[in-house]
Amino acid sequence: MEQEKETIFHKMWNRDGWRAELRAINALALKQWQVEFSYPLSVLWFIVMPFIWFIPLIVAGTAVTGGAESASLNGLVGTSDWVTYIALGSSYTGLAISLMWGTGFALRREQNVGTLETLMTTPMRRDSLVWGSMLHNLQHGGLGVILQLTVSILLFGVALDWWGIVPALMIVGLSVIGMQGLIFTVVCIVLTAKQGWMIVELLSSTLLLVAPISYPIAVLPSVLQYFAIASPLTWSVEGFRGFLMEGIAYSGALNAVVALIILDIVFVIVGGLLFRYTERYVRKRGALSQF
Amino acid sequence: MTEFLQKEQDTTDHEISEYLETFKPRAMDWAAARVFAVKNLRIAVRYPANLLIWGFLPILWFAPYVLMATAVGGLETTAHFTEISGYDDFIQFVVIGWFVYMYMDNSIWGIGNNFRWEQFSGTLEPLFSTPVPRISILLGAAFSDSIQGTIQAVILFLLSTLVFGVSYAVTAILPTIIILLIMIIGLYGFGFMLAGLILVFKDPSVLSELVSETTYMISPVNYPINALPRPVQFAAYLIPTTLGIITIREIAITGFWNLLSFLQTLIILGGLVVLFWSIGLACFKFAEKWTKQRGHMGGF
Repeated sequence: MEQEKETIFHKMWNRDGWRAELRAINALALKQWQVEFSYPLSVLWFIVMPFIWFIPLIVAGTAVTGGAESASLNGLVGTSDWVTYIALGSSYTGLAISLMWGTGFALRREQNVGTLETLMTTPMRRDSLVWGSMLHNLQHGGLGVILQLTVSILLFGVALDWWGIVPALMIVGLSVIGMQGLIFTVVCIVLTAKQGWMIVELLSSTLLLVAPISYPIAVLPSVLQYFAIASPLTWSVEGFRGFLMEGIAYSGALNAVVALIILDIVFVIVGGLLFRYTERYVRKRGALSQF
Repeated sequence: MTEFLQKEQDTTDHEISEYLETFKPRAMDWAAARVFAVKNLRIAVRYPANLLIWGFLPILWFAPYVLMATAVGGLETTAHFTEISGYDDFIQFVVIGWFVYMYMDNSIWGIGNNFRWEQFSGTLEPLFSTPVPRISILLGAAFSDSIQGTIQAVILFLLSTLVFGVSYAVTAILPTIIILLIMIIGLYGFGFMLAGLILVFKDPSVLSELVSETTYMISPVNYPINALPRPVQFAAYLIPTTLGIITIREIAITGFWNLLSFLQTLIILGGLVVLFWSIGLACFKFAEKWTKQRGHMGGF
């Protein structure tokens, strides 16, 4: 028994490399699913959430246009099918919110339940904690996108170009990298400000306001259009929707991909450095478990 | 020394027994409600940025509707919207919806979640062992949340009128206050019901999100009520804020105050107050009993 314990200890001590980190990330994602499934209301929320956000937009759009066509939108973006335009934009929002809030507050949740310090002492990389939560929220949000799109197609007559699915998924991949930079920033706010949810709420609401979810950025005031261009969420939504509406012939593909690659590099470097610095700073101050 | 300690002990015993002897359970303890409200307000004052941010944030939530209406309908309010709503300014229409809906949101996130925050702070069990009726604690939480909610709603209203350049009839102030007062009392019952549900289900974020988003979806905040399917319209009228939004919007935009329809609104709102208080208190009482029986009070 003693020998077995020692072997486990040595195995843990000697764990190294990206495969070990991947296992840890996967274990963290699975753990979060188990936590969510232990609350029955969470499961219900997970199912209805995509529609609850989408339906008010559809009702408001119908009240304004009185039909399924919009000449005004056609003049702005070249399509009059506003239902498909909004359905695709808002489906991506669910994923973005899940990534930003779910992952951004993962460490805070661990702190609330008293397991943050324990997790920080495990022999895995600190950023694997964030990547693990990100993986869970990607699965969670991704399933929400599929659910919303399926119902949108069946109930609201949303039309997709099926050839655009693979490139749209590649946009999601690029988007996740840039979003991870943003998430690292959110984690830093949570770790240092403790009650930083208000700052995060402000940040995410601003990002969602300037993102072209249910309107093109052309209708934003010009100052906000600059913010929109610098946000990876803008190019993610544009690319995701563009490919799903126009297929591989999507005219804005190059713009979206290039912008996302540039923003990915900037956001990951800045976010990663911020996280590294903040995590060390908080540990030095012994403030990990403080509220 | 021993004699002194004995004397101290006797005095304490005497004080306790006197307190216990004179203690009479009451149906409502207004002093306790006041103390609880003041305590919550003191905490709120410690974070003044909260009030400002919560007054400002809803603009970021309703601005997308305004921008969407601009994108799909053009710069002017569409003829279809005017036809189904009776109003020719979409922004003017939406601002009032959000102003009144802030109270609904507050009753869900404030009153409903109050006990969860006490639980997080580790003070829920001591609070429930105090000899005051639960209704006092609930009302105390409701009072403080109403004050905070009013400050936030007024900030939102003033900022919105400044940002979007919309104006309303001054004659609407008095009827708005009267309707809001009755609506808020009705919302207390709604909040009590949620507080009970949170005691049972524990996970307040999901429950509150679910209730908040569903009520928002069926409320005539961003669209007229007749834009909704008929069965949903019926459900919408069961929410106290629906009538509040419709009546206040009409008076504030048109400046016309029809006494008969105003009185009708007050009577229906009064009925909703009785309904929600009965359901809310029964729900909370049951939840408290259920939680205590299972020893779940302080659990997560």
